[in-house]
Amino acid sequence: MYRKTVPYRIFNVFNTVFLICAALACVIPLIHVLAVSFSAKSAADGNLVGLWPVDFTTIAYEKTINNSVFLHSLWVSVKRTVLGTAGILAVACLAAYPLSKENAQFRGRSIYSWVFVFTMIFKGGLVPFYIVIQNIRLMDSFWVLVIPGLVNVWLIILLMNFFRGVPRELEEAALIDGSGHFGILWRIYLPVSLPALATLGLFAMVWHWNSWFDGLLYLSSKEEYPLASFLQTVIVSRDFSSMSFSKYEFELLSQKTINAAQIFIGALPVLIVYPFLQRFFVKGLVMGSVKE
Amino acid sequence: MKATAQKSLLSAAALLLAAAGLSACSGSNDNASPSDSSSSSASNSPSASASEPAPAASESPYKEKYDPPVTITTVWGVDPALKFKNGETIENNVATKWALDTLGIKIDSLWSVTDSNNAFVTKMRLAMSSNQKLPDVVTIGTGGDYDQLAQDLIDTGAYREVGSLFDEYASDKWKAAMELDPNVWNPYIRDGKKIGIPVLDYAYNHDYLLWIRQDWLDKLQLEGPKTMDDLEKIMDAFKNNNPDGLKPDKVTPLSIGFKMTMNTWMGDPSWVFGAYGTIPGQWNVGADGNLEWGSINSGSKQALEKLKEWRDKGYIPSEAALWDENKTAEPAVAGTAGIIPGPYWMSGWPLLDTAKNVPTAVWKPYAIPTGPDGKAGRHGTNFTSGVTLINKDFKHPEALFTYQNYLFENLADPAPGSQWDVGVFKGYDYDLDASGNPLYIDQIPGGDVNINRYWLVKDGARIPDAQMKALMNLADGKEATSRLEKEVKNNYGPETPAAAKVLLSQPNISFTDMFTGPATPTMKSKQDYLKKIELETFNQIIYGKKDSSAFDKFVADWKAAGGDKMTQEVNEWYQTTKK
Amino acid sequence: MRYLRRTWPFHLMLLPALALLIVFNYIPIGGIVMAFQDYKPWLHISGSPWIGLDNFRLMFEREDSMQVIWNTLLIASFKIVFNLLTPFAFAILLNEIRQKYLSRSIQTLVYLPHFLSWVILGGILVEFLSSDGGFVNRVLHWMFGIKPIFFLGDGNWFRFTVVVSDVWKEFGYNTIVFLAALAGINPSLYEAAEVDGASRWAQTRFITIPSLIPMAIVVGTLALGKILDAGFDQIFNLYNSMVMSKGDIIETFVYRTAIVDGQFGFATAVDTLKSLVSMILIVISYRLAYKLANYRVF
Repeated sequence: MYRKTVPYRIFNVFNTVFLICAALACVIPLIHVLAVSFSAKSAADGNLVGLWPVDFTTIAYEKTINNSVFLHSLWVSVKRTVLGTAGILAVACLAAYPLSKENAQFRGRSIYSWVFVFTMIFKGGLVPFYIVIQNIRLMDSFWVLVIPGLVNVWLIILLMNFFRGVPRELEEAALIDGSGHFGILWRIYLPVSLPALATLGLFAMVWHWNSWFDGLLYLSSKEEYPLASFLQTVIVSRDFSSMSFSKYEFELLSQKTINAAQIFIGALPVLIVYPFLQRFFVKGLVMGSVKE
Repeated sequence: MKATAQKSLLSAAALLLAAAGLSACSGSNDNASPSDSSSSSASNSPSASASEPAPAASESPYKEKYDPPVTITTVWGVDPALKFKNGETIENNVATKWALDTLGIKIDSLWSVTDSNNAFVTKMRLAMSSNQKLPDVVTIGTGGDYDQLAQDLIDTGAYREVGSLFDEYASDKWKAAMELDPNVWNPYIRDGKKIGIPVLDYAYNHDYLLWIRQDWLDKLQLEGPKTMDDLEKIMDAFKNNNPDGLKPDKVTPLSIGFKMTMNTWMGDPSWVFGAYGTIPGQWNVGADGNLEWGSINSGSKQALEKLKEWRDKGYIPSEAALWDENKTAEPAVAGTAGIIPGPYWMSGWPLLDTAKNVPTAVWKPYAIPTGPDGKAGRHGTNFTSGVTLINKDFKHPEALFTYQNYLFENLADPAPGSQWDVGVFKGYDYDLDASGNPLYIDQIPGGDVNINRYWLVKDGARIPDAQMKALMNLADGKEATSRLEKEVKNNYGPETPAAAKVLLSQPNISFTDMFTGPATPTMKSKQDYLKKIELETFNQIIYGKKDSSAFDKFVADWKAAGGDKMTQEVNEWYQTTKK
Repeated sequence: MRYLRRTWPFHLMLLPALALLIVFNYIPIGGIVMAFQDYKPWLHISGSPWIGLDNFRLMFEREDSMQVIWNTLLIASFKIVFNLLTPFAFAILLNEIRQKYLSRSIQTLVYLPHFLSWVILGGILVEFLSSDGGFVNRVLHWMFGIKPIFFLGDGNWFRFTVVVSDVWKEFGYNTIVFLAALAGINPSLYEAAEVDGASRWAQTRFITIPSLIPMAIVVGTLALGKILDAGFDQIFNLYNSMVMSKGDIIETFVYRTAIVDGQFGFATAVDTLKSLVSMILIVISYRLAYKLANYRVF
């Protein structure tokens, strides 16, 4: 057993220490944000907050929670993330299955895959896209947050690569039993690809959760913004040279603590979901077990 | 008012006009007035200059109240900080209701967008390119990307000449405010025609002065600085003999930054250049009366040598080249900075918070010190904060004047006892307690909202010198009586009136950017590169990577790489404004 | 006919994705013609004047355009390489940790920086990397006696800082695909190797790494699409007048000259150029992967 050997044990100690250090290096900025969110405004403005709150207060969170627009945008975000992620995965499964076949089995495959890849690289730009959105009447509709993002070529390619790892024998056996391709996809490919789907679902989720530009452009009322768009309208580097001052601007200028609270709340849902999805990465043994 | 007496007559006339307008509008051009001011309505026309030659007709379209109401379509870039109450929105709120009820003007919103990260500019450009209807009336701000957007909107040709409308319909009060600085029209003139109405703003908002820690000065028994030499002595004492006992390396005697520009609004180093007779990063009037780019003036070289000296001595932050405006405020708020340049209103924000971190801290405003030749300088502020454009297809351009004249009359600087003296909308920007005393800000049930951003034109109506006048009165110890005086007293920091006085003690040292026209061809293709070599050279000199002779090479490079051509184009524009 | 009968489900399955692609990707791609126009929003594409290659010429006429392109290529290639190697190595190392709670906590923590925008991180980095008593410089001084380094104010260090901080921000997130691929390895392979007495290093070399290679090829190939994409948000928030000559990249340059001035045609031209270069690189690497590793990337 390699685990008992001395070199491996030494390696293990170093490895553990190294990874813990790496993890700490990643967590420090968020701790700083968290500390700011719990600090007094004057301390935050003076940049006196390190990794621990100065003059502890929860007022930033109270203000955030009491903002009805914030709560509604949270709901819009949840809705778009759930529907969007489900949609992306459905489209991706359907598209990745035929693309994972051998060229001999599905002759159009090569052309199709270049048609997909091409769109990853060439983009038409904002103006033509905007005109399309306007012409198909998606403007100002909730669905503008979901439908244009349904095809994610990057995820389709990843899923296609996972599908290629599914043993051919399973498929051939099912074909002989008279199953169609839809049945094979549903009964054989999907169950064994759970780790892949969990990974892709996570990517899709994070993408949806963080997207803000579409909300800002295609929705005309702030009340219907998803959370990420809402946060963008709050956390901005404003050009003060064009600002005529009033006490309202003073309030906005001093929102460092509230911004911090909102950043944290915004990141929270994905942080909570992540450990649950993680389990699937670890339980990826399902696929291994069917292999001989 | 007379208007009430004539109401029925007017409404009948308005009906007729509406009908006439419908048949006459198609195919018509930017002819200013389908009908005009005449004797019967002269009493309603607020402007004395309404007697200009005009085609004969029986009735002016201008009304103090429209019945049936007219509709003005517009679009909104909503400030992210703007709050609403009672379930209102920018499309439908107390101010739009007021306009309909009082003036018979219905404000119709085509779209609105929360304006952050350029969302308004992007949305407006997309609307322009996707055949969406352009609004009847739109106000575009200044600064950043707004300037170019305004110029592009003017170039679409969808917006009409407004100079004649302004002459005909604007009230005397508005005209007087506009005449404080006739240059405000300059950016919006095409072939001698005025295409947009400048939005006036309070003057001196971004002119700056020095904020100095008075408690430190007192403990060191030092006077405020009159000259740059005085200033150096003070900075040295702050650093090496700190009254709060801070170690020299913990003190930032002078908090300035120049991450992307040497000419900004807080923590700005441009007054150091001012001491040598120039302001960098803008167009100043040169010795020969032509415009010159301030950064290539030989005074800049001396200023850079001075800044290098200060950096070497540790008077300015060692990482000043990485600091943006907000960063320069941090040591000031933390109580480790002794001096910070900034606008007169800084005692309200951010300096109010210093005392929370260092209870003994006291900031006082001081005038800009003079250089070796007795010169002093800072950058100045234009009086405008935007432009209002009127669509040439809009059938009731005079309605905008009905709206704005009312605001200039009643909102801009209301006399004590007038209708909006206490506040504008009860329950929004003020409220009354049981005994009729006004309540403001947090005392208003449900909190206050900034109704000034609900108006059709940004900030309603502002007379450039009104706020400074109010502040000067307060600084002279006058009791706050007018609404503006009360407003500044209630809302702004305790040192603001004194700072305003300090600011106005040096009225002639402000250099405003004299070029306000549309970007010239060379500017479009070269300015970015020219700015890049400018900043790079300046920083290399300040950080001692090159000696100050690099400045002369920079000037030669700058001129050769398009700077001379740009200067020529700018001066051609400048000549057209001097007519 | 028989072929079509066998493959119709494939075409049907691709239909939804294809329809969406046509509407949201292929129709807007027509907008690329703007690159050859002096595009004016109010004249629309149909009415804007044609100016041939002038927009492309403008890009190369700039005195500093070569410098900007070189900066972009340099920063982007380092990012591509290290954003591939770091997660790859990290996934393998993490796989060695047997305590489930520890490995899962580390996994969750390294993933955090991905959620912070560069606007926030920019401010924090300036603080941490300050040459004037910043945390990193203090640690370096304490451990190695190094003089303070001007990380963000010195051109070469700036490039270094940009690459390292980007890798630091994204490696946790990028590790996820490799972790998922690791989960897919058949455990019986390790069991067999164990029986043969293979050391852990041998197992890593002959089982783990080969199983991850296909995923690395896919990720690497697709990353080439970003070869002229050095990270706008990051540079925009970190760069300053001190490091312009070494830190300015195509996108910040386009932003300053084109977006602010509303020169859509110019911005489109630059984008089209970028797309062309990436397309060529992707085709080459696709061919190479097929020829050398007999692996079809997509």
